[in-house]
This record gives sequence, structure tokens and C-alpha cells, in this order.
Amino acid sequence: MADNIKHQFFFPHRPEQVWEYLTRAELMELWLMPNDFLPILGHDFQFRIKPMPQLDFDGIVYCKVLEIVPHQTLSYSWKSGPGNGKIELDSIVVWKLIPKDNGTELLLEHTGFRGFDNFSMFSAMNDGWFKNIQKIAELIKAANRETSKL
Amino acid sequence: MKHQSFDVFQVVADPSRRQILRLLLKDSLTINSLAEHFDMSRPAVSKHIKILHEAGFISIQDIGRERHCILKQEGFEKLQEWINYFDNFWLSKLEKLKSLLDNKIKN
Repeated sequence: MADNIKHQFFFPHRPEQVWEYLTRAELMELWLMPNDFLPILGHDFQFRIKPMPQLDFDGIVYCKVLEIVPHQTLSYSWKSGPGNGKIELDSIVVWKLIPKDNGTELLLEHTGFRGFDNFSMFSAMNDGWFKNIQKIAELIKAANRETSKL
Repeated sequence: MKHQSFDVFQVVADPSRRQILRLLLKDSLTINSLAEHFDMSRPAVSKHIKILHEAGFISIQDIGRERHCILKQEGFEKLQEWINYFDNFWLSKLEKLKSLLDNKIKN
């Protein structure tokens, strides 16, 4: 089970050009979402889209700038919920720009899904599951044998 | 994804509930033997078990007089679906960014 999201994109543009699209609110809106981002450490901002009540999502992503190194790295918290300030999804988005000869490698990581991190171990647990299910099946069989004896 | 919410993250955000899942990862346990691992009251443990059960993380089997808790894949699959949702979300956004920047070159 994957517990984080990673994407890597190459752009034939200089890091400064890509950076603009990650950090200027009006340019971010063109490809991401309407927002009130400012490239300032600790700045609270929001992305706003259509609410999706069926997903308990009020349409607002609550963010705070956690790290900002111009043309290199940007990270912000990414929280959302059903409304009234209630947060159910608590995660972190990290952008890294790596200069290349003919452009920029852009790395995105969306991680830290609260409570989920510890569950990477579940990728290795399918065997355990089957073992436990088998054990329960045995227990049920044994219990049924007991009952049928009565 | 309809009628699902981020609640599933909230369910596993609680340390006691994660501990319950970790214990069940090793072996299926009765509610009584699970409760022995915690300082909190048995009703408090039962409440956590109920939440995990409702969110599809465990199933409960009555065997004889005992209630056995077993891990269930459904809850974990829901978590995975959310991760996949965001995975696709970012992929489509990045593709949009790429075409924006590509057009910028051409112009």
C-alpha cells in the first residue's frame, strides 16, 4: 500500500520560470486552483474550489507555508474538512526544483496523511491477514463442532 | 468515491485506534484481551473498536461467548482510494502546468 504521492515532471524551462507558477497566486490559479498564496514563511492561505458535500469537503483547502527557499523548495500544509473549521484531512505538500542542463526537474510529494504514515507496514501484511482469517475460520469450525455435539 | 469522506483519516489519526490495529496485525484478539493492553476502561476500548468496526477496519466475530476482532481490508482500501484520488488530482494538475509552460515557449 502506497502511503504517499510522488510525481516527477521535467520542464524545458529555467527553475525561476517554473517557480513563478508555483508561487504567484494568479499563475497558480491557471493550473491549480484559485488561492490567496503569498511566498512568505508562515503565511496562511486557502485554495478554494466547489464544495463537495458528498465527500464532506467544504471546498476549502487550508494551507500554511512551512518552508520556502526561492527557486529550490516550497512546502505547505494541506488540510480540509466538511466545514466549520473541522479538519479531517491533514497532510503536507512539498515541491522541489532541481536545475538541469536544459530545464528543470520538478518533484512533488504529497505526504504526511495524518495517521496514515504508520501504515506503510500494511503493504507487507497480506499474509498476516490470511493467517488470521484462517485462524478464525478454524475457531469457528471448532466452535460449530462443539455446538453440534450438544 | 461517493458517500465517502475524509473520516477514514480521522479514524486512524487516533493513537489508541492505531495501537488496536497494530495489535490485531499480529493476531486476532478478543475484545477482552485487547482491553488488557490499555490503561483506559473497557467501555472506552469498546468505543474505539466500534469506530474501527464502522469504518471497515475490523470485523467482529462472535465465537462461543467471546467476541473476536479481526482486521478487515475494507478500511485500508478506503484510505488507499483517497491516496489514489490525490495522486490523480496532482497528475492532472501537473499536466495542465506542463501544457501552460509549453505554450509559453511556443509564443
